[in-house]
Order: sequence, then C-alpha cells, then structure tokens
Amino acid sequence: MLNFFIPTLAFLFQSRLVDGLSRMWESAKQPDLSKFLVVGALLFIIGVAGVLTRRNIIVIFMSIELILNAANLNFIAFSRYLQVTNPANAVAGQLFAVFVIVVAAAEAAIGLGIVIALYRNKETIWVDEIDLLKW
Amino acid sequence: MTLSGYEALFFWIFALSAIFAGLLTVMARNAVHSALFLISSLVSVAALFVIAGAEFIAGVQILVYVGGVMVLFLFVIMLVNVGAEEMGREEIFNKQKQVTASLIFCFLLVGGVLYAVSEGYRGLQAINSQKVAEQTALQAARTQRLGTGATGTSRITEDTQNLGALLYRYGSLPFEIASVLLLVAIIGSVMLARTLKQEASADDVDPETLQEEIASDPELAKLELRSE
Repeated sequence: MLNFFIPTLAFLFQSRLVDGLSRMWESAKQPDLSKFLVVGALLFIIGVAGVLTRRNIIVIFMSIELILNAANLNFIAFSRYLQVTNPANAVAGQLFAVFVIVVAAAEAAIGLGIVIALYRNKETIWVDEIDLLKW
Repeated sequence: MTLSGYEALFFWIFALSAIFAGLLTVMARNAVHSALFLISSLVSVAALFVIAGAEFIAGVQILVYVGGVMVLFLFVIMLVNVGAEEMGREEIFNKQKQVTASLIFCFLLVGGVLYAVSEGYRGLQAINSQKVAEQTALQAARTQRLGTGATGTSRITEDTQNLGALLYRYGSLPFEIASVLLLVAIIGSVMLARTLKQEASADDVDPETLQEEIASDPELAKLELRSE
C-alpha cells in the first residue's frame, strides 16, 4: 500500500510544481496589465522604504520621485488597458501622468529650496538632527 | 493588452533594471550615486512607457525628470556638503529599531499590494474578457488605418494628437491651474533660498533679528542704510 502511495504523491506534487512553474513561464512570456501593476507596486514600495529608512534628506526626496514615478507607470498601464476595452481611443491616463509630472517638478523645486534654506541655518542634511519642533 | 515576442523580452529587461536601479538608489552610500541610479531607473520606466504605447509621456519623462529635476538634485547635492557620508563615518540609515519596523511594514505592504493586484486583475478579467476579445479586433483595424513610418513596418501613432486634444478640450482648467502652480513654485523657491544679505537688502528681515546679526556681520548695516 505504502509502496503505491508515496510514488503517486511524489508524482502528483512534482506535476503540480512543474505545472505551476510552466504556467508562470507562460504568463511571463506574455506580460499583461497585471505585470505592469506589479512593477509599479514594487517601485512604490522601494520608494516608501527609502523615505522611512534613510537619514539623508536629499535621498528622501529622490525616493518621493520614485513613488510618483510608480504612480505614473500605473496610469500609463491602465490607459493602455482602456484602449483595448473601450471603443474610444482613451488617453485620459496619459493626461493624468502629465499632471503628475508637473506636480513632481514643482515639488522638487520647492523641496530643494527648503533643503538649501535648512542647510544654511542648521548646517546639516540628516533628518534626525533637524528637530526644532520636538520637545 | 498582452505583449508578446520582443516586446515581452524588453518589458522584462526594463522592468528588472528599473527595480534594481530603484533598490540601489535607496541603498547607495554616496548621494551622487543615488542620483545616477535614480536617473537610470527613470530612463527604464520611460522605456516601459514606450512599450505601453505612451511615447509622448516617455519623452516628457526624459526631458522633465532626467533633464530638469535630476540636474536640480545634482546641483543641490553639490551645494550641500556630503563629504562625511562618502568617507563612511556616518550611518546612512536610521536607528536599527526604526529600520526593522519600517521594513516589516514594507514587506506587509508588498504582500497586501501583490494580493490586491492579482485578485483585482482576476476580477477585471472576468468582467472584461468578452469586451477585450471584441475590442482587440477593432483596435487592430484602427491600427491598420494609421499611416506607416519611413521603414514601412511600423505605424505612426495618433496618441499625441489625441492627448493634446483631450488636454485643451476637457482638461483646460486643470492645465491653467498647473501653470499657476508652477509659477507659485518658482516664486516660492526663490523666496526660500534667499540669503540673509539678500533679505536685508530687500528690507525683509525682522528688525530685532537684524540688529543681532549686524553684531556678527557689520556688512549688513550698510545694506540696511542703502535700502532706506
């Protein structure tokens, strides 16, 4: 009895594993909307990790740019997806991406102005040493 | 939208390089290296935009982000002193406890977001699979109507025309608001980055503060007189 079951289970497990891998390979050969969203999500989370862990205020700003860029990637991917699900040639997602880029540029200008003013007064770029509001 | 052939190959190449360059941006010790890795991540994402059929946004991304914003970042990195960081004397990450807590949070976020994406995409496919099959044929017919490029094998897209029409027809109020936002950002950053001397010559300093500062820097008193 045991002699029969173990090879059968092994075969079933193996076939399921191979099956799963081959299905992953098949879906990787034809990336669709979900792959774009996964890349966007990973970039977003790398940006969040950078904001939460780094001490250098300039690198924190760069991480924010990474987050905004991940949001742009999602807008573009959905814009492409809407082009094949909607009868109209939808480019509304690209419109939103333009506005995100505009806001990112304005944010970078203001943020770096603040960094320069801060450096002039406090002589530091480490965020844990900028603690005027902490008591 | 499914990519195939070389599009799929290049999608994976640029996706992996965007993610690796993003990781290196966060982990590099030198801020200049961080900025260069961020530039390569942005260029890879621009290539992903091209693969997704948004050529205009890819061009804007290169021009505005890589050509404008990142040059601004590099200027500011050069202006503030980062010598201590390069020598390896300073810790680049926060305290151990904060880093551990935020990494746990990030891993939870990864799991949650990936689960939401896969579930949501399955639901979306269940709703739209019929439509996708119909519209893919229509899309192919629309592509056939577009003019061919110089090589004869590729088509000239009309997405940029459509984007411009959409921007000025339906998005003209947000467009104007964005221009006002940029104006405010320019004036605000000029105001923020002024030195005390510039502020004094524009007579824009609190008088008591100015008296204190004159004690250490007599030059300021002359500026004060000149403005009156």
